[in-house]
Amino acid sequence: MPPVISARDLTKTFRGGIVAVSGLDLEIEAGVVYGLIGRNGAGKTTTLRLLMGLLRPDRGEVRILGGDLWSAPRSTRHRIAYVSQGQQVPDWMSLTDLCRYAAHFYDRWDRDIARDLANRWDLPWNHAIGRLSGGQQRLAALLTALATRPGVLLLDEPAAGLDPIARHSLNDCLIEALLRSDGCTILLSTHLIGDLERLATRVGIMDRGRIVAAGEVDDWQRTVRKAQVVFPGEFVPREFNMPGALRSETLGPVITAICRAPDDTVWDAIRTRYGARINVFPLTLEEVFVEMFRDRPTDPVNPHPGDNEGEFITISGQPGIRVDKGDTCRVGGAFQSTAPPAQRDRD
Amino acid sequence: MAPKLHLQIDPRSGVPVYRQMMDQMKYYVAGGTLRPGDQLPSIRELALALSVNPTTVVKAYTELERDGVITMKHGRGAFVAADAARLTNEEQVEALRRSAKHLAVEAAQMHVPSPKVVRVVCEELEALGADKTDAEAPLKFSVVAGD
Repeated sequence: MPPVISARDLTKTFRGGIVAVSGLDLEIEAGVVYGLIGRNGAGKTTTLRLLMGLLRPDRGEVRILGGDLWSAPRSTRHRIAYVSQGQQVPDWMSLTDLCRYAAHFYDRWDRDIARDLANRWDLPWNHAIGRLSGGQQRLAALLTALATRPGVLLLDEPAAGLDPIARHSLNDCLIEALLRSDGCTILLSTHLIGDLERLATRVGIMDRGRIVAAGEVDDWQRTVRKAQVVFPGEFVPREFNMPGALRSETLGPVITAICRAPDDTVWDAIRTRYGARINVFPLTLEEVFVEMFRDRPTDPVNPHPGDNEGEFITISGQPGIRVDKGDTCRVGGAFQSTAPPAQRDRD
Repeated sequence: MAPKLHLQIDPRSGVPVYRQMMDQMKYYVAGGTLRPGDQLPSIRELALALSVNPTTVVKAYTELERDGVITMKHGRGAFVAADAARLTNEEQVEALRRSAKHLAVEAAQMHVPSPKVVRVVCEELEALGADKTDAEAPLKFSVVAGD
């Protein structure tokens, strides 16, 4: 079955040479919840806007539900919903007006879903939306997206500004959308990485306009570890390479590293060969993310991102470690030196 | 009628969610709370109750079936297997080792000798009213502490 969302070599440069998205490839299968994470300015919002056809790419191709949204028929566009980061709904409308208005445009509009969500989120039907709180306005926008019974749902930081109860409730609603008989494929960008551990099936980490690491959430959690190796001498043996290190630090005879190891045999081998003591700790997705980007310099704008190929780490459930570009598995923080070039966008 | 299960997902544990679900189901079976033939919650119920992606529940159930803990009956749901084995010796040790590693690191940092660590653990077991007759237990703890 073809992927529901696919992008190939997607590139977008804004005025002034600011490269927002650079050669991005993405494939999302039906029924998947794909979490896009990355620092501010990594290119997440621009990617979503390119996928939705709200921006024209300089290069590359986007397909959603088998076609390009610029030329897709009405019936296809009705199955796709998008809530942007600062989604504006006409502030003079009440929720009743908004729902009546949206129902005209969407064949699949579901009045029961709208009613259920308004009750759950305690949204008033007859107040002007402009007089509601920021969080309530956001919920009203999310309500209209979910009530269209979308087959594809793109959300840009959907939980920003929501209180914890509303946030949990939104997650429940997304799970209900997945459980619907006609299903749903969801792509969301977020900084709430903890929520993705429950919600997402796949996660892609964006940095400077590219997806630099991607994989199944379970595989991230199962294989990425923080490992501390203490060698018996005063120094780390010169020939030692930390297996699968995403980054590492050395202090005397101790190496502390974030590693991707398929199983514990790798540690047993180091213990046996070097007589080292090893502590291995599991990491949450958020910890992995922080460790990958901690201490990374905020580089100035680089208008020529293609000059320096960065690494791409694929966590695919396959045994072994695949680092496509750049040797990043050496001790001593080579991860930083092979990092992709700097660029910033405007999300 | 299956007993009500209280599954907890710890988002800070770094353990995959499906794995946490599997472990807790296994403990319920091992402890006798879940008995052979008991019906487990449906995928929909569990996904909504725990706020997790339904495919995660499917994965946990599929792995539990592969481990012989549950059986999936098409159209009827998931049931505890008739011959659901209690945790094997290796699985017990593996489950304990996860916690023991943290304990060992703390003990090593404070320079606490192994016998003292074992004594503390034994005291905690006694406080729980756990079985003290298993002569193997202190030996395993000392192995873990010295690992």
